[in-house]
Amino acid sequence: MKKHHFTWGGLYLALVFVILYAPILYLMIFSFSAGKTMEKYHGFSFQHYADLFADGRMITIVINTLIVALLASLIATIIGTMGALVIKDSRGTWRNSLLSLNNVLMVSPDVIIGASFLIFFTVLGIRLGFMSVLLSHIAFCIPIVVLMVLPKLNELSPTLVDAAYDLGASRWQALSRVVLPAIAPGIFAGYFMALTYSLDDFAVTFFVTGNGFSTLSVEIYSRARQGINLEINALSTLMFFVSLLLVIGYYFISKHSGRRNRIVAVKEGDAQ
Amino acid sequence: MKKLFAATVGILALCLLLAFGDYALNRQTNQSGRRTVTIYNWGDYVDPALISKFEQQTGYHVDYETFDSNESMLTKIRQGGTNYDLVIPSEYTVQRMKREHLIAPLDHRKLPNLHYIDPQFMNRSFDPGNRYSVPYFWGTLGIIYNDQMVDGRDVQHWSQLWNPRLKNNVMLIDSARDVFAMALITQGDSVNTTNYHQLRKAQRHLKQLTPNVKAIIADEMKMYMEQNEAAVGVTYSGDAREMMSVNHHLHYVVPSEGSNIWFDNMVIPKAARNKAAAYQFINFMLEPANAAQNARYVGYATPNRKAKQLLPKRVTADRAFYPPRTTMKHLQTYRDLPLHVLGEYNDLFLEFKMFAK
Repeated sequence: MKKHHFTWGGLYLALVFVILYAPILYLMIFSFSAGKTMEKYHGFSFQHYADLFADGRMITIVINTLIVALLASLIATIIGTMGALVIKDSRGTWRNSLLSLNNVLMVSPDVIIGASFLIFFTVLGIRLGFMSVLLSHIAFCIPIVVLMVLPKLNELSPTLVDAAYDLGASRWQALSRVVLPAIAPGIFAGYFMALTYSLDDFAVTFFVTGNGFSTLSVEIYSRARQGINLEINALSTLMFFVSLLLVIGYYFISKHSGRRNRIVAVKEGDAQ
Repeated sequence: MKKLFAATVGILALCLLLAFGDYALNRQTNQSGRRTVTIYNWGDYVDPALISKFEQQTGYHVDYETFDSNESMLTKIRQGGTNYDLVIPSEYTVQRMKREHLIAPLDHRKLPNLHYIDPQFMNRSFDPGNRYSVPYFWGTLGIIYNDQMVDGRDVQHWSQLWNPRLKNNVMLIDSARDVFAMALITQGDSVNTTNYHQLRKAQRHLKQLTPNVKAIIADEMKMYMEQNEAAVGVTYSGDAREMMSVNHHLHYVVPSEGSNIWFDNMVIPKAARNKAAAYQFINFMLEPANAAQNARYVGYATPNRKAKQLLPKRVTADRAFYPPRTTMKHLQTYRDLPLHVLGEYNDLFLEFKMFAK
């Protein structure tokens, strides 16, 4: 067992984490304040949580936001994974231009993407609302998924796929039994990245919401003129714990499947 | 593959569950048919209890959507693709929407409650005869000061901000029109001047204020004033009210020689699909009891004369937020100026800012 010694590196790391988490903690503490502003703490109360759950509009917006994020990142993951497979198989300038086109979407400012979506949807006559938000979120999530899946595909040894074909696998079997399981961690990572992008996007979403459909980030921004209500703190605290649970869940799932993979590896070793 | 498939099914199931929750939630709040009215307003700028009351009274379902600035709202209305039935822009935006034919003229016969509005808030220059808009809330530009750091008598007028005793103690709101309004009023000119010489003169005057200017900032001013960082600030009445509720040493003054008065107004866009409901909503909000309830929730000054009588005396007697008639006479609204003139305001302001720090 290695002992924990004091190191400057460790101190630096601790400092970074304190700086990253302090604002969130500060916000969470005030969600339990009885007061109305973040200036002074006024004693413990669940008042803002009660307000939040009584606010049907806010709950609807939260649900809308979650549905859009879950669905958009799911569809983007499917399309993005297919895209990554195509890019992997392409060669030369064609491959480079495909990758560059993908990267351009990653670096171009959200505001411009949002404005062009607004023009695009109105020209096509698509009513702004759930569909327009979903479509635009899918669109800006795809490049992220491609970037997360591609490295895993490059790691995958081509001999493994060749072996599958040698053993008589059809194209579909090779894809579903060999390639996809091997790149699954990349696909999951892509999904979660897309999920976070979709959840907190304001710039694109602002342009394409409409007709009574809104998401959380748009709603919170629009409250800025009045000063942000502590109800938002309560909501943020809940969201923080939900994401914490998700991360813990993801950790246990990956640990579990990691062990199983090891067992498989050991068995394969025995077979040799 | 199995794992990926299971995850996909799980996510879809979760979506379905959420969609069902959404459906159940909205059925609860809206049992009475599918007629909806869509309202586009600033965030947190109406008492949610009034929305439910309106829904119960009329049977309409209210879709309430929010924006964070006049400009972004205008972009969306201009582009189309949305059907807002009622929008609440500020007065200079009303003027611009009118010019761009985005809003429909109002039929005053359908607004029997319009007579509750105080006549002094009707028929303003941005919308003569209130053909397009009905005032929702109003406020002013003024001076907020900290009574621990400065004597109230020394900051009753704009010109007093130039006093050398306030060295490095004045905060200005970061807005070209507002800062120029202050300077233009001290030299007796209109806040809507298009005369370049008057603007230049105002800028020269502002440059003399430089030693007193501690910072030119936006929303952060609230925090600094609350924490006694500066003695004096130039800001809007709505923000001032928020600061005063936190720090009791702060006071707000509207200079009697004049200042800016702003309005947020209800308008009906041309693209509205449910104009009848929009009229009903305007009428509902003009109802004195409702207007008073809304004013208590939002905390801004109401233009509704009857509603004002229903508010607590300590609110309406506050001369800072309901200034006396003599001051009201000198308050001016901003007019939407031609683009090249606005450019001059912005350029001169930018020059002043660079000079300041």
